[in-house]
Amino acid sequence: MSGIIDISNIANSYIPVAIILIVALVMPPMTMLIIKLLSPRSKASAKYTTYEAGSLPIGNARIQFNVEYYLYAIAFVLFDIEVLFLYPWATIFKGHGIDFIATVEMLVFIFVVLFGYVYLIKKEALKWMK
Amino acid sequence: MITMDIEAIIYNPILRGIFGLCIMGGVFGGACVAVWFERKLSADIQQRYGPMRVGPHGLLQLAADAIKLFTKEDIIPRNADRLLFVSAPILLMGSVFLMLVAMPFGAIIINGQSYVIAATEMDISVLYIEAMSAISIIGIFMVAYSANNKFSVLGAFRNFARMIGYEVPLGICVVSVAIMAGSLNIVNIAEAQSPLWFVIMQPLGAIVFFIALMADMGRLPFDQNESEEELIAGWMTEYTSMRFGYCFFAEYIHLILGSMLVVLLFFGGWNLPAFLTNITILGIILPTAFFLLKVALVMLGIIAIRWAVPRYRIDQVVDLSWKKLLPLALLNLGWVIALGLLGVY
Repeated sequence: MSGIIDISNIANSYIPVAIILIVALVMPPMTMLIIKLLSPRSKASAKYTTYEAGSLPIGNARIQFNVEYYLYAIAFVLFDIEVLFLYPWATIFKGHGIDFIATVEMLVFIFVVLFGYVYLIKKEALKWMK
Repeated sequence: MITMDIEAIIYNPILRGIFGLCIMGGVFGGACVAVWFERKLSADIQQRYGPMRVGPHGLLQLAADAIKLFTKEDIIPRNADRLLFVSAPILLMGSVFLMLVAMPFGAIIINGQSYVIAATEMDISVLYIEAMSAISIIGIFMVAYSANNKFSVLGAFRNFARMIGYEVPLGICVVSVAIMAGSLNIVNIAEAQSPLWFVIMQPLGAIVFFIALMADMGRLPFDQNESEEELIAGWMTEYTSMRFGYCFFAEYIHLILGSMLVVLLFFGGWNLPAFLTNITILGIILPTAFFLLKVALVMLGIIAIRWAVPRYRIDQVVDLSWKKLLPLALLNLGWVIALGLLGVY
């Protein structure tokens, strides 16, 4: 290999993935078909109502939710992408003769992101139910 | 010539795919054993017997449960979104199966040459496994949102807040391990721990990774999405018959694969001293057996923790991940960089 990406090799390692993917897609519907044949059925109107601890469901469950969840989601997008940038750097950290420069560059990057993290903490964006 | 043929057979992608299907079957069996194991161990911890009636020590209980799940009526509620409701289990199963493809299940060592038991090997398998594991969050949200049930939606939102919080420290710990091994290939990572396990080199990383993984798998104390005492069954309240079965199995397969990930990244994988593996018979059996034993021990730990720690409140959970685990993971990353610059590994 030695750094050059061999396309045929990559295809080889993803063909098993494709095979499993097809099986994973087909298996649940097939099982549900078998269950349709095996299981008893009886129609009753009350059976198809949404479960709400015995009473009839009040209103819709898909309501507007607390904004906290979205703040965490935004923070997640920021930090997860930061981690993604670390991955390629991690593989060339040692043994390519650029240890020191790579480290300094990545420390600058992490410092910038940490600055954002401190800002989030100070702004209390990561505080549940202010 | 003959060795060439063996290599051609081992690296034939189609045959490897079929081998992957065999592994899939094996993991399904393993999940059944894991369910039985968990019920028995939980019973022991609570000083009761657990399943005893069906088969010796309740070993056939799972077969009985499977028959029950297969013969239950499949109910789709009137208010549910049918398309999402039906397709969500496919996504959940796809997530765990695609994780499983790249996962090595041990190795066979013949004459010092090791053959890894895995459906496929890739350059980036750790990243791939993490990505596939993250898909399950979408599956869980689809299950809950399509069911249009208040308990489910509450569970799914909690699950979402928890899982995205723990993805980040998990990722940073994986990066720290990848730096030490110099590769994102999980086989190389496992083999890089030949003299020294990474748990010794970066104990902090191992602890953070373990906690984040428990949260990612939704094990108690981090099962806010299910919390059966307050939310009935949380996100899968509306699921019946085998649809429920699939969600349930996906969780247990995730438990097995997560335990394997802990062993592969921090506890040395299948590495054994060379004088043991040079003997042909031992080289074939021991590495895999040793690896699976360690996986079982990690699983035992995870199950035992379930009965030792009460469930966290959701605000405690997100605080733990964002305010404690994330700085600790970054600290561990700094520690690994420092060790690297000092030339320790």
